[in-house]
Amino acid sequence: MREELRRPGYLPPMPRTWWLRTGPYRRFAAREFTSLFVLAFTIVLLLFLLALSRGRDAYESFLGWLDSAGAMALFAAILAAGLYHTITWLRLSGHVQVVRLGHRTAPRDAVTAAMVAVWLVVSGAVAYVHIWA
Amino acid sequence: MAGASKPRPARGEPLAWALFAAGGTVAALLLPVHAAILGIAYAAGWLPSDALSYERILDLVGHPIVKAYLGVLLVLPLFHWGHRFRFILHHQFGIHGARGVVAGLCYGIALAGTAIAIFILVRI
Repeated sequence: MREELRRPGYLPPMPRTWWLRTGPYRRFAAREFTSLFVLAFTIVLLLFLLALSRGRDAYESFLGWLDSAGAMALFAAILAAGLYHTITWLRLSGHVQVVRLGHRTAPRDAVTAAMVAVWLVVSGAVAYVHIWA
Repeated sequence: MAGASKPRPARGEPLAWALFAAGGTVAALLLPVHAAILGIAYAAGWLPSDALSYERILDLVGHPIVKAYLGVLLVLPLFHWGHRFRFILHHQFGIHGARGVVAGLCYGIALAGTAIAIFILVRI
């Protein structure tokens, strides 16, 4: 009764799996589900840093886990979801972020291309510091 | 005080969306390279032998700028997750009531993760 009062008008009943019905719905849901892998990455990074804070033995046993097939499978899933998030997010940024150039606006594709360039440069810089510097 | 019987405007909502957007951008730009290095390249043996050695990583993470960077890398994506998971619970799991409880749970976990991240980073 309260629901009816709060939402006047006709609300068609939706099946629970409405988001599996069509391609666009599935892609929308997939983008939301990438966040679970973002959380998984955050937890693994926290465990990595926790092991580092607990000394050499804890750190080296964490490296041993990183070498396992299970960790590699988990990271492969995190990387795949992460790349899907990156691609969809950077493509979206061209729509969200309007760049004004005097009286005109930069084309969406140019904004997205600039974001992809930033992504590649930042990734290269992180890899350099993480591995070699 | 004003309009106690009307639905209250959610005052935290703009902040939640701002953290979601900031975390989404941080995750988009930084997550793949970190996942590729720690999760794939190391196990595949593509890294130089001392790249992840205890001394090297302790030295690297001990630097204040790297700690601040790791703080951003951990905390903002946590709020990105919290915001999206809140809508996963509403959209995909079909929980339509208890909006306050769902929001409190999601952002509460992100806040707890923030506290854990700061605690760990300060101790290194």
